[in-house]
Amino acid sequence: MTPIIEVEHLSKSYGETVAVEDVSFDVARGEIFGILGRNGNGKTTTVEMIQGLRTADGGRVRVLGIDPQHDPRRLRPRIGSQLQESALPPRIKVWEAIDLFSSFTPRGGDWRKVLKQWGLTGKEKASFTSLSGGERQRLFVALALVNEPEVVFLDEMTQGLDPVARRVAWDLIREVRERGTTVILVTHYMEEAEQLGDRLAIMNDGRVVAIGSPQELIARSGRATKVHFSTGDRDVSWLSEIEPVSAVTQHDGQAQVTGSGSVLALVASALVSHGIIPSDLRAERPSLEDVFLELTDSAPADLAAPAIATKAATAGRRAA
Amino acid sequence: MRSLTKLTWVELKLFVREPLSIIFTFAFPLVLLVVLIASFTPNDPAFGGLRPSDYYLASYIAVVIGAIGLIVVPVRIAGYREGGVLRRLRASSVPGWSVFASQAAVGLGMAVVGAILLGAVGRLAYGAALPASLISVTAAFLIGAFSFLALGLLLALIAPNARAAQGLGLLLFLPLWLLSGAGPPPDVMGAGMRHVSEALPLTYVVRALQDPWVGSGANVAALLVLIAVAAVATAVTLWLERRAG
Repeated sequence: MTPIIEVEHLSKSYGETVAVEDVSFDVARGEIFGILGRNGNGKTTTVEMIQGLRTADGGRVRVLGIDPQHDPRRLRPRIGSQLQESALPPRIKVWEAIDLFSSFTPRGGDWRKVLKQWGLTGKEKASFTSLSGGERQRLFVALALVNEPEVVFLDEMTQGLDPVARRVAWDLIREVRERGTTVILVTHYMEEAEQLGDRLAIMNDGRVVAIGSPQELIARSGRATKVHFSTGDRDVSWLSEIEPVSAVTQHDGQAQVTGSGSVLALVASALVSHGIIPSDLRAERPSLEDVFLELTDSAPADLAAPAIATKAATAGRRAA
Repeated sequence: MRSLTKLTWVELKLFVREPLSIIFTFAFPLVLLVVLIASFTPNDPAFGGLRPSDYYLASYIAVVIGAIGLIVVPVRIAGYREGGVLRRLRASSVPGWSVFASQAAVGLGMAVVGAILLGAVGRLAYGAALPASLISVTAAFLIGAFSFLALGLLLALIAPNARAAQGLGLLLFLPLWLLSGAGPPPDVMGAGMRHVSEALPLTYVVRALQDPWVGSGANVAALLVLIAVAAVATAVTLWLERRAG
């Protein structure tokens, strides 16, 4: 399967400042591909170059087989964009904006349907400036999807949304993926990347430092899972004999078992078969945030890993 | 085409929602017209044989064209550029020229409304004469409007944001307003001021409107100057556009 997006050695500098350097990745059709990184590390510049909204200094990009740097007009009708820094004329009404953007595409539907789908019912006559941050974001995402694109680019889509609205937005994006649209999601929220991303590229200082699914990235980091539970005064040091366990410590009736992989399941099972059934068994799993912090403080030597990871991930997808 | 029509319609609605645009386009020229006509007696000789009401009606229609072309349209477009609206539209396959065209169309429409408003007040309140040759006056109006809209689109391209567009526009507009024929009558202006006036494009809009209005026939020289201004402005705009991307 040819990737729906191919990015090779993309770069851009503004005078002395290097914004994006040697960025390469592929996006497979129908997946949610996350680009995760701190603000100011090249994510927006990268996706804007992929959409043909910014000129690249070097590299090769293909979206749906089209070169966005040289043929953007052929590409635009087939993609959707929710841009980070973007606005509408201040006094435009919500229904007017949706109706206007629908008129730009043959596939544009009735603005009432779009309004309802994105939870903006009741706001049709509201002016753009009167909308809250969350409502504006929803409107922009709605506008990005109004032409039923094959690929949609979302840049900080949930910025300014409260936790409930954020989860509603995540569900909507999952629905978008279910309908077959490929999603490129730029975000600095770890949880969002972990929850939504099928695969992620982590960017730091304008470079890609890792690519893989959230689970792969966490596993690759080799960080440990810590299992905690109360033991009373029973000794559980024998747990260290279980394969994935690397350490067992006990203190004040509390035990901490450090290990990797399926350590939680195996420890629980072993405890139960020894008649120890703690009621407060819990695990502290490494999070994407831990991985991210580790990778973005990492030395250049770690940058060798991503190239192998990409090929492995792509090969894995081809086999699947 | 359907999207350009819709864009123009939306831009029209947005224009009338903006108090500043309404004031500049309609209120300001109207108030000045009334004040100036009232400042002179109807047979004041300073107007080269014309009555003040006829003289100023034509010049203030020119002022409406000047204000829309040099200030209102560039400020709107520069504001869109600054706010990210142009980029948002471009991402949805709406090219920059579509935005420029829709703004120019709305500008022209508003200039027509402004001219009719001034004409109605001039006629009903001050008995200003109807145009002797409506066709020539209309042609002069359209050529003048295109000329100043072309200047405005050039300004819109070079101004980085709304504030810069407003500053630049006002800087250009104010001398035009004062010396092109909407300020002191020609006989009152000293030789120096009259020389400057000859170099200002709005002067030619005023002449192109006045002559056919009072029955002196079309002022072909003035029309040619305006067409040249439009051509040069458009050429520079296209050249800058090509250079940029």
